[in-house]
Amino acid sequence: MLSVLATTNAASPGLLQALGIDWKLLVEQGVGFLILVAILGKFVYPALVKAIDDRRATIEAGLEEAKESQAALEKAEARVAEMLAEARKDADDILARTQQESASMIADAESKAKARAEQIVADAHATLSVEVTKARAALKKDTIELVALATERIIGEKLDASKDADLVKKALAREKV
Amino acid sequence: MLTTIASATPTVSVAPETLFHIGSMPVTNSQMLGTLGVLILLTIMFGAVRAVRKGSRSRLMHLMLWAFESLYDTTVEVIGDKAVARKVMPLSVTLLFFFLINNWLGILPFVGAVKYHGTEVFRGAAADMNMTFALAIISMTTAQVWAIRKHGFLGNIRRYLISPLKDPLHSFEGVLEIVAEFSRTLALSLRIFGNVFGGEVLLAVIAYLSSYAASLSLPLFYVLELFVGAVQAYVFFMLTVAFISLGLPNGEDAHADAAADKA
Repeated sequence: MLSVLATTNAASPGLLQALGIDWKLLVEQGVGFLILVAILGKFVYPALVKAIDDRRATIEAGLEEAKESQAALEKAEARVAEMLAEARKDADDILARTQQESASMIADAESKAKARAEQIVADAHATLSVEVTKARAALKKDTIELVALATERIIGEKLDASKDADLVKKALAREKV
Repeated sequence: MLTTIASATPTVSVAPETLFHIGSMPVTNSQMLGTLGVLILLTIMFGAVRAVRKGSRSRLMHLMLWAFESLYDTTVEVIGDKAVARKVMPLSVTLLFFFLINNWLGILPFVGAVKYHGTEVFRGAAADMNMTFALAIISMTTAQVWAIRKHGFLGNIRRYLISPLKDPLHSFEGVLEIVAEFSRTLALSLRIFGNVFGGEVLLAVIAYLSSYAASLSLPLFYVLELFVGAVQAYVFFMLTVAFISLGLPNGEDAHADAAADKA
């Protein structure tokens, strides 16, 4: 079906000729390609590689910053946790101390109140005792006067104060004996 | 190429056809398309550089830069040494872009359709054994140059020539390695030539067989050829980098194996 053309005809001996290899063309195309590589290697690839390096450097810097930010965040979170723990501990201490102090104050107040109450009761007792003594003295005085008056009525003699007192004393002395 | 629809039988030439001479230098139809491909490549590349410097990126430029970055990273990964990879990269990346653009240009309908005195004016650059063989020689020579730079001239020779009295097995292996260097060069050039040339023949045959239904049948094969063209360009790039890394000392064997596996 296919007719292979004259360039590969039977008159061309050898494998290389059969494949159409011409050393002049081969060198020509090889040199042409090397010139292309040189042009691209000189003017194109360095710029592209630099762009890639710059982009990667930017990305790496960004990642580094993100990593640093993450580390700072973790540090800050740790610090916050530490501060919260300290605050909780302080609060607990304050609370415990306050409870202790309040208990102490309550106990103190209770003891003071008790002492005060006892003092008040003692004072009241003392006052009452003085009042009773005064009342007794008054009563005694009134009784003596009443007895004197009664005696005067009975014996019909007006007793003056000194006689009356003598009589009372004598009576009392008899009573004592 | 679509002109073959109208022709009685498609004609296929293994060798490129000379269109004219500049002095004593012949200019072939594969060189014409190769030159067009180079101009397109230079336009895109300088456009990319301009876009990068301006900071503005169109979608095409973005795609271009993404492709370049991927190839650059692959080269660095396979070579292992970033400094060496940066020096190797211009060759490897240019190989890929050159073959990719020319392989894709080679399946456009105007290739084969435009004729000058009965000779096709355009032909796929990789469908010319002169081009693929020249680039394979450049690749393998570069690999040897890097091996000599890293091992020294005698050190590089000692990679191949080992005394059979000391180590008979490795001595034999060394001889095989010498043969392998030449077979790699030939295989590198024949692989891409065979695929691209075979693709052109396939399109010509499909166009001939499907005749007036070619407009329906050919697009499927165009898509296939687009894929084959891209894969072959990548394989050439990858093998070039792998062969260069094989000649480098220390640990590069692993990289080269990985690259060969990828390819």
